[in-house]
Amino acid sequence: MNSATQQAWNQGNLNANAAAQAQRRRVTIDPITRLEGHGKIDIFLDAQGDVERAYLQVPELRGFEVFSIGRPAEEMPQITSRICGVCPTAHHMAATKALDDLYQVEPPPAARKIRELVYNAFVLEDHALHVYILGGPDFIVGPQAPPEKRNVVGVIEKVGVEVGKKVITMRRRLRELIAYFGGKVIHPVLGLPGGVSKGLKPEDLPPFKALADDALDFALFTLQVFKDLVLKNPDYVKLITGDTYTHRTYYMGMVDANNKVNFYDGLIRVVDATGKEYAKFPARQYRDFVAEHVEPWSYVKFCFLKPLGWHGFEEGPQSGIYAVAPLARLNVADGMASPKAQQAYEEFFNTLGGKPVHHTLANHWARVVEMIFAAERLVELINDPEITSSDLRVIPTAKPVVGVGVVEAPRGTLFHHYETDANGIITKANLIVATQNNAARIAMSVDKAAKGLIKKGHVSEGLLNMVEMAFRAYDPCFGCATHSLPGHLPLCVSIYDPQRNLVRQLTQS
Amino acid sequence: MNAPALASPPAAVAPPAKILLLGLGNDILSDDAVGLSIAREIRRRLSDSEGIEVRESSEMGLSLLDEIAGFDDLVLVDAIQTGQAPPGFVHQLDGDDLRVLPGGSPHFVGVGEMLALGRRLGLPVPRRVQVFAVEVKDPFTVGESMTSPLLRAFPAVVELVLGATRRLRDETAAS
Repeated sequence: MNSATQQAWNQGNLNANAAAQAQRRRVTIDPITRLEGHGKIDIFLDAQGDVERAYLQVPELRGFEVFSIGRPAEEMPQITSRICGVCPTAHHMAATKALDDLYQVEPPPAARKIRELVYNAFVLEDHALHVYILGGPDFIVGPQAPPEKRNVVGVIEKVGVEVGKKVITMRRRLRELIAYFGGKVIHPVLGLPGGVSKGLKPEDLPPFKALADDALDFALFTLQVFKDLVLKNPDYVKLITGDTYTHRTYYMGMVDANNKVNFYDGLIRVVDATGKEYAKFPARQYRDFVAEHVEPWSYVKFCFLKPLGWHGFEEGPQSGIYAVAPLARLNVADGMASPKAQQAYEEFFNTLGGKPVHHTLANHWARVVEMIFAAERLVELINDPEITSSDLRVIPTAKPVVGVGVVEAPRGTLFHHYETDANGIITKANLIVATQNNAARIAMSVDKAAKGLIKKGHVSEGLLNMVEMAFRAYDPCFGCATHSLPGHLPLCVSIYDPQRNLVRQLTQS
Repeated sequence: MNAPALASPPAAVAPPAKILLLGLGNDILSDDAVGLSIAREIRRRLSDSEGIEVRESSEMGLSLLDEIAGFDDLVLVDAIQTGQAPPGFVHQLDGDDLRVLPGGSPHFVGVGEMLALGRRLGLPVPRRVQVFAVEVKDPFTVGESMTSPLLRAFPAVVELVLGATRRLRDETAAS
């Protein structure tokens, strides 16, 4: 081959490779759906060695809509709960409510109460897991503790074996309640359009009444643990209220008719950074308020408030970025619908300087306040005479077209949206999961933490932990592959110089 | 005199060694189902008299404590994606490899942490743990079938796990 031909050949190869790469890039960043997987943080330094930008990367879950299309809508509560091993009950309930909406049917009061009972049991056990086990290493053991102590065994050493047993036992009993109605916790079979598949037999009531009372004791005990171990430690309080973990954004969450926190049903309320109501809307209108922004570096679609538009990863009234999850729910509500939770709510805002609270790490405390509410709701519902009614279903008769369902998952607002043909066969399916609502603010938190901890090329010890804390407070759902070995989320932080050369890599283990 | 029937054996008599093969995964996330599929296939191949209990679970972390409590030995089969081995490669780990307790990870309690926690709380968790982590190609696409490279490797993986589980049982019985 002569040199001109060689050159043309090489150029052709280069073009073909570039085209293939461009194609691959286009395909891979255009996911059909977007739950999240393992975490990776890329930090880019500028010429001075300061952080130009830090990015949290997560692989995406693909193919959800393709998988759903052509299936009967009634299968969605089962399919969606199977996707995520972290919050199956939240998906199950959001899907069930989307079916109610799809068939325009209102479940009888007892069915609604059973759903709410199961849902509050789920929120309580999930929050307990986070407070003690997942967030516990940050707060119960402490952010400054040596790495070998910052794990679940370290938590048990701090709170004591008896408390550890209490946590495990309470979770098991709450899960037994969920399984009583749903068959299995992981793949519940309970929600049907217009009702539920199983009621509560009067003879089975006593152990559940005892459970509800114990659950409330447990939630109040947890608040005490939190106060003793966290709030009495000025260093922790300083960390919670420090600038590194603070963002002034909008907040979104569900409220009942009295603007009190509700996990199962109500209207979605949005407040601005001063706490003023910005919007309040039913699930069906979510598309008027929630839009998604795509960044070239991430599979995640970043939600923002549609009327305000996307203005980048910015704080302030002009930015449409908002947060969901426990802190957001407390911020959007006028209070809690039960007395002990209300008391804890008031203490929360009085201590942290009034509403709204913008400190991301306050999510941990807000989670404890919500545990009390969930437990009080359990007590209320299990003592409701209607809970043992056998009137559990209204058979749908309407022709299906569109159904939107929303619940407050433990980690924030969760939307399910289905469209079907006249036979109820899915033609379109969309989920907006809690972590996606939070994604922009999580990205800001990671970036801010990195900027605070890397100066002039010097990487502070404990960077990994502090950056991790920035997003762990949100309790982000990296659900789809979380059971996979090696058994922990292989978070990896890579630091690059201005020429994009990798200069340092930090991994958890 | 006949002893009255007991709901559970008296504590003084040691029950026979019990071994659990637990397949983990998600059966609608493509290759992530591999642990479940292996468990199903092994259950089909085992006779009841072999003394190996086979279970499948899509749960994780702490929720698995309920599944594994009460067994002497545990064989875990799960998917892994290291990117360092071809699909179908079986990484073998024992309990010591899982004993490492890294700092808390977002929304997750790993197998090692679960075992450590169970022991710390005095729960009857298995003494011996053998883990078979099968390298997978795609655990992120919603779908009910595994990728072809993994399907091709599947029969050999089943043989390997089944053989190792039987050896573990025989060793336990002999000890």
